[in-house]
Amino acid sequence: MRQTSSAAFALLVLAGVALATPGAAMAAEPAQTAAPQREIPQSLIFEHGETLDRLTALAKRPGKVGAAASRALGLFKRHTAREMEYILPPLALLPDMADGKVTPDMAWALVMCDRVKADREQIFQEHTQVTDAMNALLVAGEEAHDQDAIEFARSAAGDSLNDIEVLEPTVLLIGDYLRSRLPTAH
Amino acid sequence: MDRLLTGLRLAPASLLVAAGLFAAVPAAAGDAGKGRAVFAQQCAMCHSAARGGATILGPTLFGVVGRPVASVGGFAYSSGMKAQGGAWTADRLRAYLPAPRAMVPGTKMSFGGLKNPTQLDDLVTYLGSLK
Repeated sequence: MRQTSSAAFALLVLAGVALATPGAAMAAEPAQTAAPQREIPQSLIFEHGETLDRLTALAKRPGKVGAAASRALGLFKRHTAREMEYILPPLALLPDMADGKVTPDMAWALVMCDRVKADREQIFQEHTQVTDAMNALLVAGEEAHDQDAIEFARSAAGDSLNDIEVLEPTVLLIGDYLRSRLPTAH
Repeated sequence: MDRLLTGLRLAPASLLVAAGLFAAVPAAAGDAGKGRAVFAQQCAMCHSAARGGATILGPTLFGVVGRPVASVGGFAYSSGMKAQGGAWTADRLRAYLPAPRAMVPGTKMSFGGLKNPTQLDDLVTYLGSLK
């Protein structure tokens, strides 16, 4: 569901550049704090919409599947709100960064990247709650022989792991990379 | 342990014998059948329990007790897990499963932990039976 391969590629690009750029930690302060609403990659908007639609439909089903999906839906919305606020927007910079373009107007992302770093453990705990909810949905789906619920639970658990393994570390690397490339005023 | 000691009048020598015995015996015997149900509810989404089972989101847990930590080929372990060293034992699983992230910082197993001690004993007993 998620663009794992492209994110992993971006991660490799960033890691390589960061290694080749000594003094990456010499950054100064984060940029402006009151950033306007930022774009996020369209692929992630699409994926979130698809996940929301599927989970909303499951939540309308009767019995344990509906109950488990409803609980998962609440967690998903909370996590998505966090992602939209400050985890995903820096990822929109990746195509330009991969082309070697880093400009001072990208400095807004530093605040978000720093926040992801500071909240990383809290974000992880949110993933554990999602995993618990997906376990419950899987069990309910198996009891009800509901293949949609089973497939959704497995897929969502995979997305959650992708966030932990690829997406969130990529955001941290974006922050490090920007600091290494932007003028020291940033 | 308490269960095993109930009703016995132990002299110091027999205490020593008992202590030696307990070192080799799991801390509490669970019910593998119930542990299988716990596995189905808490673990099966990400882990196989079958001999030769594939890596799903996590490595297969067939044969996990006695196996070196972070040793299943084809699974990308976290650096925290790779740094653990040693082998999985029943006691080590009992320590890990209630709070994975506390024991292995950086683990990517996004499981909040199995807090119920009876379920934990049952699950560890079941995992120990997978060989």
